[in-house]
Amino acid sequence: MTAYIIRRLLQTVIVLFALSFITYGLMGLMPGDPLDIACAANPRCTPENLDLMKKQLGLDRPIYERYGKWIFAFVQGDLGYSRTYRQPVTTILLPRLLNTMILGATVILVSLLIAIPIGVLTSLKANSKFDYIVNFFAFSGISAPSFWLGLMLIIVFSVFFKWLPAGGVETIGVEATQGTWAYLLDRAKYLVLPTATLASLTIAGWIRYTRASMLETMRLDFIRTARAKGLAWHHVVTRHGLRNALLPVVTVVALEFPRIASGAVITETVFSYQGVGKLMFDSIIGNDFNVAMCSFIITACMVLVMNLVADICYAYLDPRISFK
Amino acid sequence: MTKAGFVKQILLLGVVLVTSVPMTRPAIALPSNKQLTIATAQEFDTLNPNISNSSARAYLDGLLTHTLTAINADWQWACWLCKELPTFENGLVKIIEQDGKKKLQVDWQIKAKASWGDGKPVTGYDMKLAWEIGRSPNVLAGEKDQYEQIESFHIDAKNPKKFRTIYKEPRYSYYQLGTFYLTPHHLEGPIWEKTKASQGAYEKQTHYNTNPTNPGLYCGPYVAKGVKAGSHIILERNPHYYGNTAKIEKIIVKIIPNTQTLEANLLSGTVDMINENGLQFDQGLAFEKRLAQDPKLKKRYKVLYRQGTIYEHIDLNMNNPILKDIRVRRALVHAIDRDKLVQALFQGMQKKALHNIHPLDPYYTDDVRQYRFDPKRAAKLLDQAGWKMGEDGIRQKDGKKLSLNLMTTAGNKTRELVQVFLQNEWKRVAVDITIKNEPARVLFGVTLPQRKFPAMVLFAWIASPDVPPISTTHSKEIPTVDNGYSGQNYTGFANVRNDTALDKVLREFDFQKRKQLMKIVQQEYAKEVPVIPLYNRSEVVVVPTNLRGFRISGHQFYSTQSADQWYLE
Repeated sequence: MTAYIIRRLLQTVIVLFALSFITYGLMGLMPGDPLDIACAANPRCTPENLDLMKKQLGLDRPIYERYGKWIFAFVQGDLGYSRTYRQPVTTILLPRLLNTMILGATVILVSLLIAIPIGVLTSLKANSKFDYIVNFFAFSGISAPSFWLGLMLIIVFSVFFKWLPAGGVETIGVEATQGTWAYLLDRAKYLVLPTATLASLTIAGWIRYTRASMLETMRLDFIRTARAKGLAWHHVVTRHGLRNALLPVVTVVALEFPRIASGAVITETVFSYQGVGKLMFDSIIGNDFNVAMCSFIITACMVLVMNLVADICYAYLDPRISFK
Repeated sequence: MTKAGFVKQILLLGVVLVTSVPMTRPAIALPSNKQLTIATAQEFDTLNPNISNSSARAYLDGLLTHTLTAINADWQWACWLCKELPTFENGLVKIIEQDGKKKLQVDWQIKAKASWGDGKPVTGYDMKLAWEIGRSPNVLAGEKDQYEQIESFHIDAKNPKKFRTIYKEPRYSYYQLGTFYLTPHHLEGPIWEKTKASQGAYEKQTHYNTNPTNPGLYCGPYVAKGVKAGSHIILERNPHYYGNTAKIEKIIVKIIPNTQTLEANLLSGTVDMINENGLQFDQGLAFEKRLAQDPKLKKRYKVLYRQGTIYEHIDLNMNNPILKDIRVRRALVHAIDRDKLVQALFQGMQKKALHNIHPLDPYYTDDVRQYRFDPKRAAKLLDQAGWKMGEDGIRQKDGKKLSLNLMTTAGNKTRELVQVFLQNEWKRVAVDITIKNEPARVLFGVTLPQRKFPAMVLFAWIASPDVPPISTTHSKEIPTVDNGYSGQNYTGFANVRNDTALDKVLREFDFQKRKQLMKIVQQEYAKEVPVIPLYNRSEVVVVPTNLRGFRISGHQFYSTQSADQWYLE
């Protein structure tokens, strides 16, 4: 197992290196630069000033040279300086990364707690009224665009009932004036609506996955054998059925975390949630190479690490799977 | 339960929910002088004004950092931190000769009470430090010309509030120091000394980034008490402010990047007002309609507009064989009803533009050739130019159709609506318009600077009052391969009278004479039609009804300029 993990981690480093080079190159190939846009709208911007700014940012150098400089600094732990925010990348990125981790973990946890039991129940009561109702809501969840759902939730729970905040991460100033529990409660309040928006999609999908996988597993011979041996029904379902049915679900769940981290741009924007998704999007649009590359490396790491986690989970769920 | 029964129950639940919503809606109180929360859609970058490049940060100027001079609410340059605006009349400005060259000597004095938030006085040393930082090639600062125009700096040894600047050449615009921000020498001086030799080092170590809540960094009516990048900034009154103490105790500027949710945040009571960088114009109009229909909301909010400096227009490529003919260019303007355009799309709240100088600019004149909506005149001009009606309803000449390409920034809904409106107008005089839009970074990064647009581009300039349009209309500013595509005269407009007037205007210190020169500039622009002027955009702000002392400026210095006079009744 240890050798397997080390081998996979080494592969990860090589993949990251190759991907970072491709991404950096692709960003460099994008036509124009935000400096051009800023200058094009401002008649006070002189060509000399524009040239100097490009030179200061190294934009006059070939792309491979810029990449070499960036990767050299990156491996030494220097993440660089954001040209958009005019601040060190770590100052910009770390608090947002933490926010994204909190949101992502909450969404995954809530989704798992809701989707797996309901998925199992719908498979056990397939084609029942309960199954139809769950299917209806699952399809609604999959079909509802997140920006629309987010806006609806804001209108109902923030504008009309005023139960929950319309956006942000925490009440401004609450950290300084209140205790830890009050602060945690405040943060939780701000997590409810973005979590509901993102989780509605994942819950719906995971219910469908779990249901399909359970239906298939529960028809297999070993389930019939387990029941014939006289095992209790809940043991048959949880120890034999669910454990086997979870294998494909694990892959989907493992890949959901990096998806939320990098792809929750719309939800983050609607709820003014300072996460890394929107930061990554803005930095790519703004040619902010240092921020974009760091966000990208983090997301790529998440994908690769979560894949590794999924592989380890396979071994736990199915001892027949070998890492040799 | 039957299926029908189940559906009925769901419907009943829906009805109960919908009808209960208005009844359970809690009321929101109007804000008081304790706190005002302002929403903005744009994120600010660094709080260091000399290296910042964002309009969101510029919004904070009036609150945190004042400049020596600024444009006031009446669109006139006036003193902000300076005691008296230097002029030839008061003897503070002189043309001198040094090394056989004419130069400008200007004597400044900073207001006696002007202090930083930690009580240290604002002096000429703060101005000099800003000058050194701004002109350094190791610092990424916008509009370097502001700093580089000053050749040397001399501070009065007896009174450091007094200092003398020597400008490289005598230009009337010496007082336009709107983005020349003073830098607290007692805090930033040591950092600058350590970092000035290394490129990009100052930006990383400046107190504005490492310790932005240090009150000594600010000289405006407020100081920063809490800063969270991408989220908000908390401002509290500056006890050492040189003007009248601000009446509102605390101001929070909250960033809500999605303009769709700005309104929801306002209605939920999360924010009290939306600033100039918030709602789109059409959203402002829609919100105003909502206020008219809801008396409760109308008691809480009002929507304010003011003509701004953003000038929407269409650049014509003067090298296009069709557009080379002035009769065609004039026909294109006569063929469009711009009054109807602003009425149909903006309910008349954004005004038709006559040319590139704003109606509130001191040089503005309407004594120029005007093109009223006259499709018959347009048709006649096109006939005279040889473009005769073809069988397919499009004009033709020598077997070629009168077809022009109109570009703009893809995804900009308002501009796309304007495009469709104009396309229909020009169709009536049998001119075919094809639309090809590009993303902003391609349009402004490649197509415009390299003049690769085939015929017409719809976009905007951000004008600044009292600034002659040299970069956009002087013939030396036409981007070419030879000059490395420098300059912003994208149309390729070359007019001797215009060039001569612009060459003289910067060196003309007499306002009336300058006004005459600028009149020539406007007249030539209107006569030659290198550009089709469309409209000047308006700024839109939503404020609580009890906010007093508030005024939208409409120019680069935001409404925060008068923040020390705001109060909530």
